Amino acid sequence: MSWSAPLPALALVGAVLTAGAGALAMLDHLVGARTAGRPVRLLAALGQPVARSALLLLTRRATTPRTDAAAWALAPAVLVGMAAAAVAAVPWDRGVAVADVDDGIVLVGAAFAVVMVGVYLHGWAANSPLPLHGGYRFVALALSYEMPLALVLIAAALPAESLSIGAIVESQAGTWNVVRQPLGLPLYLVAGAGLAFWGPLNVPDAGDLGGGTAAEVSGPARLAWAGAQGAVLTAVAVVGAGVFLGGWHGPLLPGAAWTALKALALLALLAGARHRLARVRLERFVVLAWTVLIPLALVDVFVSGALAL
Amino acid sequence: MSQGPLADVAFWVFGLAAVVAGWLVFRTDSMVRAAYWLFASFVAVGFIMVLLGARFLGLVLVLMMAGEMTIMAVFMVMFMMNPAGLNPMTMVHQHRTAIVAGVVAFAGLAGVGLVADFPDRPVAASAEPTAELGRELLGDSMLVFETAGVTLLATMIGAIALAAKRGRFGDATTGSAAPELDPAPPPEAEEGTGHDHHHGAGGGKEAGS
Amino acid sequence: MGLTSGLARLARRAPVPVFPVVGAGGRRAATVLPTLDGIEVVTTPRAAVVLLVVGRVTRALLAPVLALHDQLPGPRAAVQWRVDGGGDGDGDDLAGVLPGLVAAPPGDGEQLRRLMGELVSGARTSSPPALPPVEPAAWRGVGPYGQGGTGMTGGVPYGRPMPGWADDRDGLKLDQLKLRLGPAFPPFPPGLVLDLEVQGDVLQTAAVGDNPFVSWPGDPPVTVTDSVEFAAARTEAVAVADLELARARHHLVWLAGALRHHGLAARGERVLRLASGLTIGDAAAVQALARSVVRSRSLAWATDGVGVMSGDGLPAGPVARAAGDVRDARVADDAYRDLGFEPVTDAGGDARARLRQRVTEVVQALELAERCGDRRREPGGAVEGPRGTLAAGEGESTPSAALLERLPDLLAGQEWGDAVTTVVSLDLDLEEAALGAGAPVGT
Repeated sequence: MSWSAPLPALALVGAVLTAGAGALAMLDHLVGARTAGRPVRLLAALGQPVARSALLLLTRRATTPRTDAAAWALAPAVLVGMAAAAVAAVPWDRGVAVADVDDGIVLVGAAFAVVMVGVYLHGWAANSPLPLHGGYRFVALALSYEMPLALVLIAAALPAESLSIGAIVESQAGTWNVVRQPLGLPLYLVAGAGLAFWGPLNVPDAGDLGGGTAAEVSGPARLAWAGAQGAVLTAVAVVGAGVFLGGWHGPLLPGAAWTALKALALLALLAGARHRLARVRLERFVVLAWTVLIPLALVDVFVSGALAL
Repeated sequence: MSQGPLADVAFWVFGLAAVVAGWLVFRTDSMVRAAYWLFASFVAVGFIMVLLGARFLGLVLVLMMAGEMTIMAVFMVMFMMNPAGLNPMTMVHQHRTAIVAGVVAFAGLAGVGLVADFPDRPVAASAEPTAELGRELLGDSMLVFETAGVTLLATMIGAIALAAKRGRFGDATTGSAAPELDPAPPPEAEEGTGHDHHHGAGGGKEAGS
Repeated sequence: MGLTSGLARLARRAPVPVFPVVGAGGRRAATVLPTLDGIEVVTTPRAAVVLLVVGRVTRALLAPVLALHDQLPGPRAAVQWRVDGGGDGDGDDLAGVLPGLVAAPPGDGEQLRRLMGELVSGARTSSPPALPPVEPAAWRGVGPYGQGGTGMTGGVPYGRPMPGWADDRDGLKLDQLKLRLGPAFPPFPPGLVLDLEVQGDVLQTAAVGDNPFVSWPGDPPVTVTDSVEFAAARTEAVAVADLELARARHHLVWLAGALRHHGLAARGERVLRLASGLTIGDAAAVQALARSVVRSRSLAWATDGVGVMSGDGLPAGPVARAAGDVRDARVADDAYRDLGFEPVTDAGGDARARLRQRVTEVVQALELAERCGDRRREPGGAVEGPRGTLAAGEGESTPSAALLERLPDLLAGQEWGDAVTTVVSLDLDLEEAALGAGAPVGT
């Protein structure tokens, strides 16, 4: 079966995004319960995402006057679509990929860039001051993490001498990129957390904005937005697993299982970071991104290029 | 590379979407929406480039336009007297000049499109457009791109110098007027003209701390 | 229908999203909310199913509570936890205006879960809107694109309040939004109303709105439920151990709120659990917590240099001590004389120093409680409350009132996130400020 045919492709990508968003919700619940000192019940954690989704589906969708209805409704779809595009470029096993195109890295970069558009529109379209503020804050954050994200992805492509993610995974047969490019994965995770506005970088939906871009969202729209955030974070984890953690390489288990495990590990790491790290001060983070992270990413590119020459 | 009827349908759909979105840029009543209709038009053009086999260029176009349209929206909101982009406004002015310019440009481009002899060499399926692009960038067109790169770098440095907190006349947070040798003349009255957001030069006006 | 009933069965297992509004006398009862099983405290009414009013709704809080109630999407219910601190017969008008209001004893999480179960299954109808469905400022357009006036950008818009212009600190003229952050804004202390003029992320001016807890003639008197033991210590003899335990508990509750504001809600909940059963034997756990909070680099990064207050002019209390001012009423207190008490101070006066100061004071309070044994403190003299020194006489300014007066100057020019962090770090109490304020209207 060719995974590039429309139906299998949709099924695979849909399954990955749903499973990832669900796994993220469960991991978040488990880590949160453990941090809060609540009794940790595994079965309750498994049912949490389903119960919460059911509750949100039963709640009514309230609106504010004179919203940009199309943009507000489509913003979660933009995020999910871009996450799907990024996931589609990652091969799960040798030859098992929806669209392992020659420019996989560029596809991922373009998809992650359009996410910025979706979040900004979600804030602007609500016609309310706190979501608007959240949307503009996210633009400042996005423009700051965009460069390190692009640069570390390019640096990971250098040893493979190809922009295709399949070739990048093939090139990690000996050593994973996280070992030979130590700066890559940490920078990628910081940029990825910012991209999905998760945890310490949850700037657009912050508590000090009363929920930010999600302040006026209720009911199924709220579920869609939370699902979209989960989908983007899943895409970040899956791409990171392929580009930095060696993709399908690993003993005993089939390749697809290894990719899934590595992606889950990154998701768990990000879920844990949310409960350990305080939310950043935006100005401080922007300064850090431009004065520290971009030079580090450049160093990463230069060193990888020098090693590849 | 002929890809069959699906590619033809996709081409017409994207082409139409690009034209309609471009028209909507000027029909909409909000600057932010105008920026994003322009983005939609660019995305459609990017997809057409992907259909033509230039996948790298098409995707890079989408990537760059996402960031650029957002920055454009932010700048439009910043410089226009339209609070946060929420007030409805008309996006066109100088109607007669614009119509004349538009008709002339359309006639010119259409003429070129009809009269010119476009190359008709189907690309081999095994061609690697990205590798070819890379070889072109670092080979025959290196001078062009390096010059553009240095120009962009100079622009960035200039922008950073403009935005830096410490300027020639002091810290940005304490006011940006140059010190006067003579006692400052009384600040002139503001004129509410369209796009003027600077104070009158030489006014000894100090911004609040 | 099969689908909705199936969904309702699933939804019943989800935690109840509750948006709390704290009224007069309700602050202490509301602290238990995040630790209740199966309850989730949300930051926006749009995410809530239950509007929980804790305490008595004063006349200034009635309109905001009704507006909040209408912002909950359906199905919704309103619950009030009555805390009878002001005596019997001190009803408020809420039950009359919200016909579906459910009165409940404080701390009953099981009833909230039952309520949500009834709401999702349809056994209970959603609470009807309390306010008439009239838009407060209907938009009226004149121009062909709906703008309010003539010209390309609409001239002067009327109807809906729109942003104006103001000078920026760089000398440009930029848009300025006027906002009111109402009495139930989650990070703020309950009852704090701020009228802001915001340019982008920067607060140009901040003005403190009227204190809703100021008591009008005919209202029950203002009581400070948050720190009852310290107010009582002015007139009765109390055990020093009880006083210091109350101080430790208060600071831990504040720390939980501050952690929640900084995005560490789970850690905040852990601190709340520790605070709710606090005894002298918890000293080790408290010390471990103090170490982890003080060492947290991300928390330090988020609070460093935020909201610096210099020591002069500050009321004596943890805020002043965090800026280096050693005043502490316990130094001159007979009850603490032989305990070897020395006030802890910190340098810097920013939010991080205030965080460290309060955490250190928790550890110190537990040590004092352990060492003092059965010693009692006689009434009379100034009491060192958890927010500052409570003067001996009546009618003196309270620490919260003094800090509220300095808030506009402190917040002007700060970025939004920093401003909220500053307000959180000051540990204000509007009821205590109402005690210290003289006139009922205005600041």
